[in-house]
Amino acid sequence: MKKAIKSKSILFKQEATIVIDEKLNALKGKIMAPKKLAEANRHLKKMKSLPK
Amino acid sequence: MKYEYYSNWSATDDFSVVDFVSVGKHGSISKRIEIIPTRSHGVYNLALGDMDNSGNFNDYTTSDNGDRDKILATVIKVIEDYTRKYPDRWIYFAGSTPERTRLYRIVVGLHLEDLSKLFEIFAEVADKQAFQPFQKNIQLVAFLIRRKII
Repeated sequence: MKKAIKSKSILFKQEATIVIDEKLNALKGKIMAPKKLAEANRHLKKMKSLPK
Repeated sequence: MKYEYYSNWSATDDFSVVDFVSVGKHGSISKRIEIIPTRSHGVYNLALGDMDNSGNFNDYTTSDNGDRDKILATVIKVIEDYTRKYPDRWIYFAGSTPERTRLYRIVVGLHLEDLSKLFEIFAEVADKQAFQPFQKNIQLVAFLIRRKII
């Protein structure tokens, strides 16, 4: 089942139409870009802290 | 911002996956944005890539569909919507190559005034252990962005 929502923007004049797709929901938690995530984790580990 | 973005998406209910279609000189290309937790608490990594016909995601490919600005505008809009839903979360993202990160830096620099109204924007700089506030022409390796509390 799909549900469509409209989303206005503070930055753009357009409005987005977003279909919430149950088939995509089945992908939640899966990592599709493992190399990019590993790279991000490697970089973040070196940082002392996040900005306040 | 003057750019248009691809405004028809399919998404998960938590916006961790957003699909849209790039239309350009090479035809229609399915694109995906993935935003998933890193090991750093409160920091989520954004990846942008192409989907092939088999459903495989490739974030290191170059589509060259002639719609770079529209795709980057779409990424910004997705970040806007994601951080509206999760205003406490940091979004970390880098290009798949230094050249792409440089391109993102240029685009962010061009629209810094508008983007800064909505986001805190920081840069990871090579060999530094602290994120720096983003400035035009800063030599960065990645962005760290969070919604501003207005």
